[in-house]
Amino acid sequence: MIKSYLNNIGWFVGLLLLQVLILNNLHIGGYATPFLYIYFILKLKTNMPRNRQLLYGFLLGLVVDMFANTPGVHTAATVFLAFVRTPYLNLFVAKDNTDPVNPAVGSIGVSPYLKYLAVSVFTHHIVVFCLAFYSFADVANLIVRIISSTILSIACIVAIDSIRK
Amino acid sequence: MRNLLNFLVKYSYWFLFIILEVVALGLLFRFNHYQRGSFFTSANVVVGKMYEISGGVSSYFHLKSTNTDLLDRNSALEQRISLLEQVLREKMADSITMAQTLNAKANDYTIYKAYVTNNSINRADNYITLNKGEADGIRPEMGVADGRGVVGIVYMTTSSYSVVISVLNSKSNISCKIKSSEYFGYLRWEGADSRYAYLKDLPRHAEFNLGDTVITSGYSTVFPEGIMVGIVDDMADSNDGLSYNLRVKLAADFGKLGNVNVLSRNGQQEQLKLEKTATNQ
Repeated sequence: MIKSYLNNIGWFVGLLLLQVLILNNLHIGGYATPFLYIYFILKLKTNMPRNRQLLYGFLLGLVVDMFANTPGVHTAATVFLAFVRTPYLNLFVAKDNTDPVNPAVGSIGVSPYLKYLAVSVFTHHIVVFCLAFYSFADVANLIVRIISSTILSIACIVAIDSIRK
Repeated sequence: MRNLLNFLVKYSYWFLFIILEVVALGLLFRFNHYQRGSFFTSANVVVGKMYEISGGVSSYFHLKSTNTDLLDRNSALEQRISLLEQVLREKMADSITMAQTLNAKANDYTIYKAYVTNNSINRADNYITLNKGEADGIRPEMGVADGRGVVGIVYMTTSSYSVVISVLNSKSNISCKIKSSEYFGYLRWEGADSRYAYLKDLPRHAEFNLGDTVITSGYSTVFPEGIMVGIVDDMADSNDGLSYNLRVKLAADFGKLGNVNVLSRNGQQEQLKLEKTATNQ
């Protein structure tokens, strides 16, 4: 029990530092910024109480916001992600597979995992960029940023997954 | 009753979700009114400290280019000094006016040195964090410039850090003029490229050429007159056709800000107060 808590805290702090000190300064082609910190939310155990998932999301988003000077943007997006990940999981994972797991290729299968990843990351990025821009004056720019960042974030998440194995 | 309670407990996450989202959106929309709400930004002490440490490490990577810049600037200044000394010798004959001018210039504004610990250029609204704050004399509404040109305006301060609204921010609005002809307008950034901003509201009859220097006008209380802003790069008509929109290539390189000067204009409060009473009447 305590070990899993410590494990969670380690990931929380590690991903946070990686995000705010390095990844936030990365703008590939002037557009794509990976938001890798949501890896923490995506990987929470499926049987964790949903209230606690939401609180983790709130805390994580709040700290990222403090560093990025964007109060509320990442907080709102990450809480939203923490809220929709359970319905997404229920949607993609086979109904007979009800054991509590950390979502991964090994635990829920390649195709469900990738679908879950793509849809979740995309949802989160849409909220982040729409709130950050707060206008649809430059829709093309907005869409390019959402899509390029989504692809980059997913690539980073898959990379971490392959290292952990 | 029991059913109702069961229902509430079972779906409590819905309520928590709504509460948390309301808090987040509250932060988002009320941030602009929170002049004192600097806790949730990088002016916060812990966040500021972390950025200072990481900025301290990454500053070593730029040492070489900083050094060349300094050398360039040094030689340019030496040239200027020798030129000025020459002029000074010529004008020294009229020593009383000379003494007055020197005094007036020295009292115009105070300079504080600061170092950039965090900076962004790619967001819709960019901010810069400095490692100096109220304890060092920095207050909101002071101008910030580096050796090359205007950087931004101080927005929030805590005792030892401050957040600056970069020129690359939709809230930034700096009064500028064309150096050769004195016509003035205001400088806005329209997103996208961090190297260019736009000088707006320049009257139709204004005279200028591409390549003219743009400097601060000194009309606002933030910047003193004559600080380098950039060079006119391209021109176009404004949407209503009543004024020019000039594209200005910014002199400051926002991709690599390091040491900056915070300019405190003496008499700023006095001018603000006077202008306020004048417009209220």
